[in-house]
Amino acid sequence: MRTIIFSKRNLKELLRDPLSYVFCLGFPIVMLLIMTIINNSIPPEANMTIFRIDNLSGGIAVFGLSFVMLFSALLLSQDRTGAFLTRLYASPMKASEFIAGYYLPILLLAAAQSVITFFASFIIAAVDGVEMSISGALLAIVSLIPTSVMFIGFGLLFGSLFNSNAAPGLCSIIISGAGVLGGIWMDVEAMGGGFRDVCMALPFYHSVRLSRNVMAGVTDNMGTDLLIILAYMAASFILSVRAFRRNMTKDIK
Amino acid sequence: MENSSIEIKNLRKTYGSLTAVNDLSLNIGSGELFGLLGVNGAGKTTTIKMLSCLIKPDSGEAFLGGNSIITQSAEVKRIINLSTQETAVAPKLTVRENLEFVADIYGVPDRNAAVESVIKDFSLESVLDRKAKTLSGGWQRKVSIAMALVTSPRILFLDEPTLGLDVLARRELWTAIKALKSRMTIILTTHYLDEAEALCDRIAVMTEGCLRAVGTADELKAMAGKDDFEEAFIEIAERSKRKGAAL
Repeated sequence: MRTIIFSKRNLKELLRDPLSYVFCLGFPIVMLLIMTIINNSIPPEANMTIFRIDNLSGGIAVFGLSFVMLFSALLLSQDRTGAFLTRLYASPMKASEFIAGYYLPILLLAAAQSVITFFASFIIAAVDGVEMSISGALLAIVSLIPTSVMFIGFGLLFGSLFNSNAAPGLCSIIISGAGVLGGIWMDVEAMGGGFRDVCMALPFYHSVRLSRNVMAGVTDNMGTDLLIILAYMAASFILSVRAFRRNMTKDIK
Repeated sequence: MENSSIEIKNLRKTYGSLTAVNDLSLNIGSGELFGLLGVNGAGKTTTIKMLSCLIKPDSGEAFLGGNSIITQSAEVKRIINLSTQETAVAPKLTVRENLEFVADIYGVPDRNAAVESVIKDFSLESVLDRKAKTLSGGWQRKVSIAMALVTSPRILFLDEPTLGLDVLARRELWTAIKALKSRMTIILTTHYLDEAEALCDRIAVMTEGCLRAVGTADELKAMAGKDDFEEAFIEIAERSKRKGAAL
């Protein structure tokens, strides 16, 4: 019950921040529109499909989720800045209720963002005359859940470790990294070499590839992608929980 | 002391080479408004943090309502509440939402009645629908204390409740705190001598982590042989320094 009460409070804090709407909900739509305009400017003979809406939607959905990490980090680091958490540490709330209370509302926000991204993609696809599968999009939204949990975990980890000035800076670096190394703007397979190896070692490209493949009904690499994402998700969850628990005593000294 | 609400036995806390609280023993009666008085770094806040189960003592023990702060922290947390030195409010929630939130976290049975009661006690009607972050420092502090009271704690910790407030806001808070007397046990830390003298039933003087004297304001003045409370505090603090130097 206390988890739900704390989740509600966190959701209100998130929804009352105008930046949540700008970055979490508005930004993916703007990116979809800009990239579609760019795609329409590319001559067909270039045979470049990476910015076509059915390819783009999965990538933008993952990129959008990286901003959820920023909001997770901001929410926790700002809570730590004041004495609000100290008050709650002295209450009957348990560590597990704090952690679930942070994860749940942000996960809800992440799900809403994914739904909006794919919904906007459908509209753009309809206007552009590109076919998109509804069942594929629904499955892609589901496939993004582990990625969402992973980004929330990293956000809460940074929010636990750093203050409200440093945490967003670090998140920005990772957001940029996710964009470049996730293969959203370029074909990683075609680039090869060390760049491809780095992309393969990190979770971002696997998240993008998984959501694109699920959208297209392609099962290639699905097991590998899912396994790597789940491994990063588990690591980010464990690390965020450990960092939060450690801070429960460190913050109040 | 009979009917003790808080029993502190040889409580000690160190941070590296610094002894924040040293061998503190005290009994505080039920319904008493007890002041911990001392300059900055005297160990008042560390004492409160140990008693409210925020940090563990290195040694010693304390019982709040008969519950150990070491082995029964969950029980202790159910009967206490705390207003910290810094304002502890959720910035984007309204004043009413802040009060309801804390009441729900503690599972207050008749939440709406409890919220309405503190709204009335602290005259919060005019700011109820305002987000906490938009309030002045004085209002935020009032809301923060009201949030501690909405759970009707048996023991309330007020850590420097008037720190940084202007004189009018301070006096207003004094009135609110006086109105709480005997409804619950209150431990108030302060470094304002007039505040301790005006509000507290008994006062413990702490310096350098040690308890130097305990009594009513008049008893402390008599102990120090001074008519003025400020002079008495200085005398008690300097006596302990002289003792320390002599050792």
